[in-house]
Amino acid sequence: MVLLTAPLRVRARLTDRYWRVHDLLQYARHFRGRKNRCYRLAVRAVNRAFVKCTNARRLKKKNMRMLWINRITAASQEHGLKYPAFISNLIKCQVELNRKVLADLAIYEPKTFKSLAALAKRRKEEGLAAALGEEKEPPGIFSRVVRHQ
Amino acid sequence: MSSFSRAQQQWATFGRVWYLLDGKMQPPGKLAAVASIRLQGLHKPVYHQLSKCGDHVVIKNTRQIAFSGNKWEQKVYSSHTGYPGGFRQVTAAQLHQRDPVAIVKLAVYGMLPKNLHRRTMMQRLHLFPDDEIPEDILKNIVEELPQPRKIPRRLDEYTQEEIDAFPILWVPPKDFRM
Amino acid sequence: MTARGTPSRFLDSVLHNGLGRYVQQLQRLSLRVSRDAPSSRGAREFVEQHAADFARRNSGVVLYVTAKKCHVPQLVAEYRESRVNGSVQEIAIGNKTAEEIATLIQKLADQSGLDVIRIRKPYHTYNPSIQGQWHPFTNRPPQLGKEVTANDSDHKTQ
Repeated sequence: MVLLTAPLRVRARLTDRYWRVHDLLQYARHFRGRKNRCYRLAVRAVNRAFVKCTNARRLKKKNMRMLWINRITAASQEHGLKYPAFISNLIKCQVELNRKVLADLAIYEPKTFKSLAALAKRRKEEGLAAALGEEKEPPGIFSRVVRHQ
Repeated sequence: MSSFSRAQQQWATFGRVWYLLDGKMQPPGKLAAVASIRLQGLHKPVYHQLSKCGDHVVIKNTRQIAFSGNKWEQKVYSSHTGYPGGFRQVTAAQLHQRDPVAIVKLAVYGMLPKNLHRRTMMQRLHLFPDDEIPEDILKNIVEELPQPRKIPRRLDEYTQEEIDAFPILWVPPKDFRM
Repeated sequence: MTARGTPSRFLDSVLHNGLGRYVQQLQRLSLRVSRDAPSSRGAREFVEQHAADFARRNSGVVLYVTAKKCHVPQLVAEYRESRVNGSVQEIAIGNKTAEEIATLIQKLADQSGLDVIRIRKPYHTYNPSIQGQWHPFTNRPPQLGKEVTANDSDHKTQ
């Protein structure tokens, strides 16, 4: 009787391990130092990298939104509007552009952005005028709105 | 289509602008707020943390900055030399006497983000205690930024017409004693 | 599957968004078959039944068939060497039927030859801006710069 299966199984496990190690090292090839060639070090580094990658998928959305807001703030300041005033008044005008598109417009189509800023500014002034109510206080009420004649 | 070719467009978009800021009668914190935004490039729609889009800021007349309250005596700048007993504390007035640029510099340095770019951005800040600015810096300047604080005027600096035009809120009685 | 650990590229089209005419990107197909090996049986059948038809249908593609002793028959596809392209794909076609090889070759003939890897941005344009890209003087008065330096030199002279 010749035992064929047992040695084959041993060999199969060994080769299996070889390929598993190399599969993992492929993810570590761009790392720095011995981490990119020693399995013991690479396996930890790759695990950490995967964890960070998973978290980063969520963080990326947050960071991109922060970047867009920074850019829109800068662009609307150029036209004399603050960011909250710009965004809220555009929404009131039913301009439903998201922050990504607004930031892109500010860079690549500055004249479009300028007219959007003008629209928001106009809406803001109208809103302010409506809140003041025809420049008159109701009878018997002295408000803090001071007007110089 | 834009009027630039691609390379020119790149130079135009990321061109560095020099701003001038007058520190006369200005609170250093407000000067620093204006300067740090310009130094980081946060005033540009192409801003990105990793791209070098910061501008140059020149602040003149830092000798004539104005603190409110009694900060000149009360505000303390601390440092440590690293040697035993090397803890130094000086008031704002003493520091200003020694170096008329230091207070504005420290204010801007504190307002910049705490990362490796901070020293690079500080190199783009040019501070001058007086009105004198070297010619090579002066010829780069593109725009003078409006001062963050309106300079208050003394009563004797108003003209008689302005004083007359001011609305009288209260007329003192004849026997009123100041 | 980290972002840096996997290869990636930017979206690029060899056909210019469909505005240009269709240019077949596949240039050369080399088929290496063994005369006797059983793994080359499907490949041999392909050469007998479909190869001539394929060559007639795709006159822009050079088809080489080499009879050479081998365990695994090979298929090598070479693509156009344009600005974005010029890749070579090697495919083992051992133990495949003639029909499987025919569909595979049709796929190679139709595709652009660009690497099938992660694409970083789902959009691309050669003309990003119609109105002209933003630069520091876009929203500024055109006389900027002259006044400040002029005023300052006046101050200095006084």
